[in-house]
Amino acid sequence: MTRVLLVDDDVELSGLLREYLQQEGFDATAVHDGESGVAEALSGAYAIVVLDVMLPRLTGVDALRRIRARSRVPVLMLTARGDDVDRIVGLELGADDYVPKPCTPRELVARLRAILRRVELTAADANAAPIAAGPLTMWPERRRAEWTGRALELTSTEFNLLAALARRAGRVVTKAELSEAGLGRPLARFDRSIDVHISSLRQKIGPLPGGRSFIQTVRGQGYQFIVE
Amino acid sequence: MGRLFWKFFLMYWAATLVVVAAVGTTAWLVQAADEHAFERSIEGGPRATFVVTATAATLSRGGLPALRELLADWDRVGDAPVLVVGAGGRDVRGRFVPAPALARARALATTTPGRSGARLVTQSDKTSYVVFLPAEERGLLARISRPSPPSPMIPISVTLLTSLVFGALIAWYVARPIKVLRAAFERLSRGDLDARVAPLIGGRRDEVADLGRDFDGMAMRIQALLGAQRSLLHDVSHELRSPLARLQAAIGLARQNPLKTEASLERIGAAAQRVDELVAQLLTLSRLEATVTDRAYDRLERVDLVDLLASIAEDAHFEAQAFGKAVAVSADGEVVAEVRGESLHRAFENVVRNAVRFTAAGTTVDVSARPAADGLAFLVSIEDRGPGVPEEELPSIFEPFYRGAGEGRSPGFGLGLAITKRAIEAHGGTVTAANRSGGGLRIDIVVPRQGPQGTRDGGSGVVGGARAPRGPALPA
Repeated sequence: MTRVLLVDDDVELSGLLREYLQQEGFDATAVHDGESGVAEALSGAYAIVVLDVMLPRLTGVDALRRIRARSRVPVLMLTARGDDVDRIVGLELGADDYVPKPCTPRELVARLRAILRRVELTAADANAAPIAAGPLTMWPERRRAEWTGRALELTSTEFNLLAALARRAGRVVTKAELSEAGLGRPLARFDRSIDVHISSLRQKIGPLPGGRSFIQTVRGQGYQFIVE
Repeated sequence: MGRLFWKFFLMYWAATLVVVAAVGTTAWLVQAADEHAFERSIEGGPRATFVVTATAATLSRGGLPALRELLADWDRVGDAPVLVVGAGGRDVRGRFVPAPALARARALATTTPGRSGARLVTQSDKTSYVVFLPAEERGLLARISRPSPPSPMIPISVTLLTSLVFGALIAWYVARPIKVLRAAFERLSRGDLDARVAPLIGGRRDEVADLGRDFDGMAMRIQALLGAQRSLLHDVSHELRSPLARLQAAIGLARQNPLKTEASLERIGAAAQRVDELVAQLLTLSRLEATVTDRAYDRLERVDLVDLLASIAEDAHFEAQAFGKAVAVSADGEVVAEVRGESLHRAFENVVRNAVRFTAAGTTVDVSARPAADGLAFLVSIEDRGPGVPEEELPSIFEPFYRGAGEGRSPGFGLGLAITKRAIEAHGGTVTAANRSGGGLRIDIVVPRQGPQGTRDGGSGVVGGARAPRGPALPA
């Protein structure tokens, strides 16, 4: 069974969700504050973490920062509806996706599955050949990426996005395609998640010698991985 | 330059014109009167008498030729320009003769001949002359002989030009801050709540500057009120998040597994209950905000506050016993006041219940209620033996939705103490919190005896948004 860690200070809600997730075939564990959330997430026992941003003491954003400092475990953020700041900060810090709270449990499960499917898909790519595009080399089966020999620390979403771009290096990949490949869901209106992930990818890799970014924005269409 | 500038400028300038005209006229009148006075008088005294007598004698003995010689001699000396006026009022040498002085000389010469500075000389040919020395002869003559005075146009135009400059300065001085204020009002009305005028007014000290400072005060208050309202709205929506999420989860469970429908319904009921409680408390808070305008909500009644508090404490003690806690009351005296009984009851009850909730098991909450020494106020203190509140958070505990953190986190909405503060302030009182030296929290409440104030202006803590539920509804 897939192990899910729920970090939410609402004890009653956690209980309800745990029950729901169990019925859906997940093995869910709940903790109620940021500190123990970080400790559990770093234990390596979970396939995915569901993290509420509104936590007492250590906030969800801070907890995420600590988790990302040591682990690439997929993280799904529960954000306040309409609170764009939390959402963007969360994605920038390396959350794989977000769900506005309150949400239906069905929606939560769909998002969880989408993220897990992506991780499993790339893991199933074990026999796939490494992807090479310019200075970039990616080994999907090991979830490892190198830029001119330097290892890149990428979240699973970033890894999937970069792989999608690198596989079609030199051609434009639309945002809709990137959303399917990176987030495992169709692109929603006004959703800036892809842009946020792309911008953190650009930051992690740095500019090309000419000062240009290796991922070019093609306005109105999508993004393009540049090969010299 | 705005209209105001031109109005001030033109008014100032018109005023200057009037002043210049008035001063000019007065000066002219004074000068005219002066000349008149000069002309009226003739020289007296021994010297004048001598000069006049000598002249008269020369004239009567030697006739006009001798007189002319004498006068010529005196001209050389440069002294005593005596006038010799013949028929027709003309001086023998054709000099200017002030008419009033001549008339006076004639009169003096006839009434007191020989003793005054005027003499009448009648020649053999019956022509008569009046001999006299006009007063300040030299000055007068100098004036008569000197070139015409400089044109008054020069000082007048200088004055007017200066007044133009000063007029412009004054108009600018008054009109500029008003323009600044107007711009600030415009910014504010467009929704820019950061509009302030103080930096543009500077250290100026007058009514206009005060107006500017009042504007800043108003803008600050509006900003604070709107900020409080926004954060309240934000808090309310966050607060609604958890019961709604529970509702969704419970509904999801019921759909997922029909066997669990009964248990889910119970949870749905509990979540709905919580939403209901939140709305009820928000309404209470908003009614307290509106107490002044909405008097029907809670009538004034005569209540013995000591008695009221004692009964609240007794009820709380009864409930606290179940948790191994206790409430001890020390109430003496009697403070009968006209108060809104229900809201005060709720205010005290919230604090006492809060104390019971946080005091450690096996400890006692101390409630003391007594009249102040001067009998004009009612003092209440409530002390618990719980974890207390971090010093830096003490001022926040009366804000709506404050709920502490960690294990001691309150299970409520954090509206109880906010309601207390509103209610006490609506009665013109104060409520403060401090940590006890031995651990735990102490809340002090002072309620003045005269009861509710006409205004609730004293409320600085601002729960502006509490009216939101009465207004155009909360966002979904």
